[in-house]
Amino acid sequence: MRCYVVTPENCVVDKDVKFVVAPLTDGEYAIAQDHAPVIGRIGAGELRITNLDGSVEHWFIKGGFIEVLNDDISILTNVAIAAYDLNLLQSQKRLEDALAVQAYSDEDINQKEVDVAVARAMLRLAQKANERLA
Amino acid sequence: MAKARALDKRRKSITNIRKITRTMELVSTAQFRRAMERAVAVDSYTKRLVRLVGDLVASGLATDAPLLEPREKKERAVLLILTANRGMCGGYNSGVLRAALARLTQLQEQFQNVELYVSGSRGLSYLKYRKFQIDQFYGQFDHKPTFDDVNLIANQFLTRYAKGEIDRLEVAYAKFVSISKQYPTVEPLLPLADMTKPAEEQQAEHCPALGYEFLPSPQDVLEEIVPNAFRLKLFKTFLDAAVCEQIARMMAMKAATDNADQMISLLTTEYNRARQSQITNEIIEVVSGASAVQ
Repeated sequence: MRCYVVTPENCVVDKDVKFVVAPLTDGEYAIAQDHAPVIGRIGAGELRITNLDGSVEHWFIKGGFIEVLNDDISILTNVAIAAYDLNLLQSQKRLEDALAVQAYSDEDINQKEVDVAVARAMLRLAQKANERLA
Repeated sequence: MAKARALDKRRKSITNIRKITRTMELVSTAQFRRAMERAVAVDSYTKRLVRLVGDLVASGLATDAPLLEPREKKERAVLLILTANRGMCGGYNSGVLRAALARLTQLQEQFQNVELYVSGSRGLSYLKYRKFQIDQFYGQFDHKPTFDDVNLIANQFLTRYAKGEIDRLEVAYAKFVSISKQYPTVEPLLPLADMTKPAEEQQAEHCPALGYEFLPSPQDVLEEIVPNAFRLKLFKTFLDAAVCEQIARMMAMKAATDNADQMISLLTTEYNRARQSQITNEIIEVVSGASAVQ
């Protein structure tokens, strides 16, 4: 089973994998060998890739799509950052900033909710990466 | 010695200029390689996205997204012109500006209002000189436009388009075909009417397996995919422009270096000749002086 993770700027993952868990807009979605064809919309959160040797990679991804067809998993996303590269302090700051925004119109409120969710997902990932390192 | 010394001075200054042009050539070669790698990277994303759209269309999904439909209303159009921040790149900037201004006149006939958006200070100074009104200027894009930066602009366009503030968006830029072929062009980006066309072509080769499951729903996926396709297209124009700028600069600086080489060899010959004739003159003087004494 091959997995590709591509952003508009580069191709970050291109290898054979055992198992993938992707964050869709309405929850996590897991893909193992011989999965049925799927097109899904990606939210923001953690992408877990289990390599053939059993080790697990953690990525933060935001927006885009996942397509599964004939054991090829293509993940097209706008942002892909390895969890270890996330900065805990920056993520915290980001969440605070997102929470501090004053939103009154429906549009702004929606945008704020999205921003907060993204910041929370980032922070959670950064914390988890930190714990693993510790 | 006067003439020979003047020639030597000129030769030295040209040697210095040659050093500069040669360095610029090398720098732009390196930047071109990097820009090229990025353009190739975005290609793999584009290919997958186009395939995805093809699959969506094949799955019998109605493509009725508002971004895809041509608009009847013709009030306001935006022309975005991508030029370089710096010169020394031959006819690159003037080529893009010429294409853009030709299109601008056509747009002004069709639309009541045409806004001019300019990226790159070269374009800005030219258009200011020609007394055009510039509605927006972007100076932050250099040889390495990032997706995040372009994304901000793309989102602005998307919101304005969705609100009906603009009815058409066109981009004037230098299109990259191959290393030996680039040309300035103007492409419409909004409405995204032709987005599905390449997908349909590709579909024939790709033969998608029908029976995709859509999560959460086909409509939802489409809602996200269409704006994304637009963002990507816009990003591609910026990348193309960056690659073409570097190629143009590379060519221009190569020509300048070659020219300097030629001038140096010419001046060297002339200098040697002048020096030789001076020596000959002095010998003649000495000899004639000596014979006069006898």
